[in-house]
Amino acid sequence: MANRRVLVKRRKTARNIRKITRTMQLISTARLQKFHGRAVASKPYTEKLAELVADLTRAGAGTDHPLLAERSGSGGAAVLVVSSNRGLCGGYNSNVLRLGVEHLDHLAGEGRATDVHVVGKKGTSYFEFLGREMDRRTTDISDFPAFDQVEPIANDFLERFAAGTLDSVDVVFTRFISAGKQVPTVERLLPLAAQVADDGEAVGPTLEYEFSPEPRQLLDELLPASFRIRLFQAFVDSAVSEQVARMVAMKAATDAAGDMIKRLTQQYNRARQTSITMELLDIVGGANALS
Amino acid sequence: MTDSNVGHVSQVIGSIVDAQFADDNLPAIYNALKINVDREVLGETKSEVLWCEVAQHLGGGRVRAVALDSTDGVARGQEVQDTGSPIQVPVGEQNLGRVFNLVGETIDDLGPVEVTERRPIHREPPELDELSAKTELFETGIKVMDLLCPLVRGGKAGLFGGAGVGKTVIIQELIARLARFHSGYSCFAGVGERTREGNDLWLEMQEAKIGDTGKSVIDQTVMVFGQMNEPPGARLRVALSALTMAEYFRDQTGVDTLLFIDNIFRFSQAGSEVSALLGRMPSAVGYQPTLGTEMGELQERITSTKRGAVTSIQAIYVPADDYTDPAPATAFTHLDSTVNLERSISEKGIYPAVDPLASSSRIIAPELIGERHYRVARQVQQILQRYKDLQDIIAILGVDELSEEDKMVVRRARKIERFLSQPFYVAEQFTGFKGIYVSLEDTIRSFEELCAGKWDHLPDQAFMYVGAIEDAERRAEDFK
Repeated sequence: MANRRVLVKRRKTARNIRKITRTMQLISTARLQKFHGRAVASKPYTEKLAELVADLTRAGAGTDHPLLAERSGSGGAAVLVVSSNRGLCGGYNSNVLRLGVEHLDHLAGEGRATDVHVVGKKGTSYFEFLGREMDRRTTDISDFPAFDQVEPIANDFLERFAAGTLDSVDVVFTRFISAGKQVPTVERLLPLAAQVADDGEAVGPTLEYEFSPEPRQLLDELLPASFRIRLFQAFVDSAVSEQVARMVAMKAATDAAGDMIKRLTQQYNRARQTSITMELLDIVGGANALS
Repeated sequence: MTDSNVGHVSQVIGSIVDAQFADDNLPAIYNALKINVDREVLGETKSEVLWCEVAQHLGGGRVRAVALDSTDGVARGQEVQDTGSPIQVPVGEQNLGRVFNLVGETIDDLGPVEVTERRPIHREPPELDELSAKTELFETGIKVMDLLCPLVRGGKAGLFGGAGVGKTVIIQELIARLARFHSGYSCFAGVGERTREGNDLWLEMQEAKIGDTGKSVIDQTVMVFGQMNEPPGARLRVALSALTMAEYFRDQTGVDTLLFIDNIFRFSQAGSEVSALLGRMPSAVGYQPTLGTEMGELQERITSTKRGAVTSIQAIYVPADDYTDPAPATAFTHLDSTVNLERSISEKGIYPAVDPLASSSRIIAPELIGERHYRVARQVQQILQRYKDLQDIIAILGVDELSEEDKMVVRRARKIERFLSQPFYVAEQFTGFKGIYVSLEDTIRSFEELCAGKWDHLPDQAFMYVGAIEDAERRAEDFK
């Protein structure tokens, strides 16, 4: 029966897919461990730096620093959307991209000119599908980003912000909270003010500093460094989240494929048995009629 | 009449009766034989006539006949009378509004009909040059049928489906829809289905009115029943009796006639039973070797001629949902439009459970139904086919892994799938929705807009059991 051939073919497809998904699951599990270690390792540095900046600003050093000052202007709003280069990671990309598009619409609703920078092949193809403009795109960042890959992007933002063509820089990425929780997030990286106030409260008692060199000079160094490291952290969080998402998605896919194979095998066996019974009946019936 | 030609019963096995005649005066094949039987019913002895139909000549003056009723009370040696002609049923307009059995006796307790003319139930199909070649769409107001497998006026349509997917409901719905707005006559043949359903239908037709003429649907309808309780011989011939009455309307009055048959499979099944009783060797899957011939003889007569059109709608049971079964497969080839009912769709709660991909119609061609209708129908099928192809991937990897184009296809396909459902007049008491008639123009426009993505913003649920697309919009408003 033609039906049986179809079943065999479908089962073979499901088996092949399961092979792939199971491999992907194992790879992403191994990678997750590696990436997670590195992400955790860079976190204390990021946090300490943020603390230092907060302390410094609270100490009254140069609140008028250009990177801190809130600008009311109608200049451009840069939005960086971080997605992955590869698929097979469940809702990871669609979640963060949906949030990115929502945020862009929100900014556009406020009448601000947006400057869109999309990272990752999945993101660029999504924006292309929607017919949205991308001012910049980056698709050559490795699965686990290195700092030197992120730095040029950060420097570019800093330059344009300093030159006044940008009034704000937002990054849309997936924040890694724990292995069980990753949240798509919009974070305003520039101007730094908002962030500083938030983090400042969480940090313990304020310390009295004696500055040398001058606070202004210090901030000139520290604030860009802080921005770069925050941006880098967004990339790292995204990379780890991607692996978690992939691992979960592939686990589910492997299980689903297993279920399907089981069901198809059952159907196939039943169809096979039915046809054998039918043929037997035909033969026996025919033989009986002859005798 | 060869009244004198009398034989005697020589053997009775089930519904097969052998009779001995004089060697030089045998009744011809298909001739009707009459046996007077005394039957005891509730203590009273009643004399009844048992009709038989000659099927084989055995040699030595013996003929083998198929009984068209129960052979209870028949004994060897009883007299058998040859009527000299095949079974004849009364034809004519006085049949309208009445219910018959296959030998043309009324069974509705309203007394006998006045017989002006009788015609034999076996006839040749119309000649080649008498056939009409018109192709015109027959609008039903059912979205999925009008769009994807439209009926042909003067053509044949088959409703295929396994047990309990809604064949009979659709037949009754079509009677309600077509007969109600139909100016001509209708014939209904109940072949081997539940007697209760036949009774329900009869009562319903008495209540239903045609348009605003005040006439009941039954006044324009003839019903012929040979249901499950009848022996195989009766079930094998009842479709022919109904057909003979329909042919009269076609040939003599020239009005458009509708012929409903529920269920053609029972005809094949009865043929198989008779064949086994006659001792023929079974063929594939135990069916009679003459399956194709029998079906052909019946189907070839259901056709439109230059004098009048017969539009027939037949329900065809598909045993074990297996479309490769010889019985539905032989019926398949004779049809202009095939409506396949699919269990997986009825399991989703979508009625009518028409399979939009397997159903088709001969007139789905741009030069017959117009470029626009053709395009929309094909587009709908494309979207649904793509969705079907993606189903395995979705089951394993999830919707998120699909490309954006495919995600959109899936979203639209889910809406289209639901939009193919429609409330029925005859199912009002089950669904709680009033039946809706959607004009062909509305149907095409609705699906065109749906495919173009104009209604992507409505929730899927809004598309269940609505009429035209505006109803879905209104339904979506209600959800808010």
